[in-house]
Amino acid sequence: MTPFELAEPLTVADALRFLDPDDSTVRPLGGGTALMLMMKAGVFRPTRLVSLRRIASLSRITALPDGGLVIGALTPLSDVEHSTEVARRAGVIVRTMRRLSNVRVRNVATIGGCLAHGDPHMDLPPVLMALDASIAVAGRTGKRTLKVENLFAGYYETVLKRDEIITELHIPAQGGRRAAYLKCTTGSADDWPALGVAVSFEAEGSAISAPRVVVSAATEKATRLNGAEAVLSGATIDDALLARAGDAAADEAETISDVRGSAPYKRELLRVYVRRAVRQAFEAERPLSSPPPLAREGREGAQGGAH
Amino acid sequence: MTALRTISFTLNGKQVSAQIAPHHSLLEVVRNDFSLYGARESCGQGLCGCCTLIVDGRAVSGCLYLAAFADGAAVETIESLDRDNVLDPVQEAFIEEGAFQCGFCTPGFVLMVKQLLDEHPDPDDDRIRDYLSGNLCRCGAYPEILRAVKSAARKRRASKAA
Ligand SMILES: Cc1cc2nc3c(=O)[nH]c(=O)nc-3n(C[C@H](O)[C@H](O)[C@H](O)COP(=O)(O)OP(=O)(O)OC[C@H]3O[C@@H](n4cnc5c(N)ncnc54)[C@H](O)[C@@H]3O)c2cc1C
Ligand code: FES
Ligand code: FES
Repeated sequence: MTPFELAEPLTVADALRFLDPDDSTVRPLGGGTALMLMMKAGVFRPTRLVSLRRIASLSRITALPDGGLVIGALTPLSDVEHSTEVARRAGVIVRTMRRLSNVRVRNVATIGGCLAHGDPHMDLPPVLMALDASIAVAGRTGKRTLKVENLFAGYYETVLKRDEIITELHIPAQGGRRAAYLKCTTGSADDWPALGVAVSFEAEGSAISAPRVVVSAATEKATRLNGAEAVLSGATIDDALLARAGDAAADEAETISDVRGSAPYKRELLRVYVRRAVRQAFEAERPLSSPPPLAREGREGAQGGAH
Repeated sequence: MTALRTISFTLNGKQVSAQIAPHHSLLEVVRNDFSLYGARESCGQGLCGCCTLIVDGRAVSGCLYLAAFADGAAVETIESLDRDNVLDPVQEAFIEEGAFQCGFCTPGFVLMVKQLLDEHPDPDDDRIRDYLSGNLCRCGAYPEILRAVKSAARKRRASKAA
């Protein structure tokens, strides 16, 4: 790695002063897991990194009285994974963590880094979009909040300015919403996914409402699938509905080809995984008194994916 | 611009300090400044676990961990298990089960297994796979490693009960 200057401010205000709106070689530093890889590969040569680790106020998990959660941007993923409040209020996040990289990376990588990196293959952004999460962003001219769904501008691109930092993640109360995230890895099991699908919805008996369906990895950036959502919205869940939702998703998503699969292949994966994800969310988080499970999908259903 | 700085931390229980540049990894520092060679860089990308170090009780990949982050922390390496020829139960179990061939990956596996058993004294297979999915063994001793984890867990529980 090439040498750089490391700033370790104690407050957000000081951190902002070290950043530079006009210099792409100055960047905030969270856990450094992604930046270290980029620096080692020589694709990023910083002149200055602004470490946010010493800003104590940024690594707390707060359970709000209304059922929501606030997670500081510097909170390591493993703290989120092991939080009983997160497990209780947004269990899908904890289930997602189990297959997100490995224990050592989760011990160091931060929530802010997961969001700001903008890699479309990452697991948490689609999940947080499905949960309708938003982030608090601090800049020199003040603070703003932004829905996670509006954060990504393209492949490895976000709408954040060079002198802005993410300070907090806010996950609204999920009430009785059910959620699931599935990913499909086409290389080794722990490779980056060819496809990620996150869903969440309310279910009243078998009737689905307010669905959110998000695709990641197979597209340029994590994207909501409005067509699939429209199919699910207000409908009664059965196998035919799942099939139509999968078809709608496959019709609208702009999948891209890469080493993990061709665009048409990922389109077919999406068709199947939307079906599975909705099914899993419906069944896995089914309250005890709800209707009997759907017919099993044979081989397909059994392969399930994420835990 | 890239002035050296001094960091202080405990290394295997001893208070130490080192002169580092901001771009040095913690792995480079324990190897180059303290001649502790049990952790080694192999993939350099967080995937293989050969560089595993424990910082404030948590396993990290030393190859991706800036040395500057260790300022004020407690750092442990595999050498912390060196206690006058008394083996840790995890080390004993690895030997008894033959859980290595060349041994290159072993320090990382032993530290991850210790971390696993500290947090989950009686892990099931899923849990073991979760903790060890970031450790690669090119010799392919995985079946023996799984057996060693279970045997180490039994040893630790037995010595706790005694
Ligand atoms: C071996 C390995 C395997 C991985 N596997 C997976 C996986 O399966 N799934 C997955 O989702 N991820 C995976 N990751 C990616 C990992 O999640 C990212 O490396 C991590 O999320 C980055 O977090 P960080 O805190 O280390 O970020 P850093 O490396 O510190 O920063 C990453 C980027 O975000 C910016 N940034 C960091 N914090 C902030 C902030 N608060 N405000 C503004 N900008 C900020 C930095 O400037 C930089 O551009 C893997 C990583 C490794 C090393
Ligand atoms: S060398 Fe660090 S994880 Fe492989
Ligand atoms: S024993 Fe040789 S790499 Fe594991």
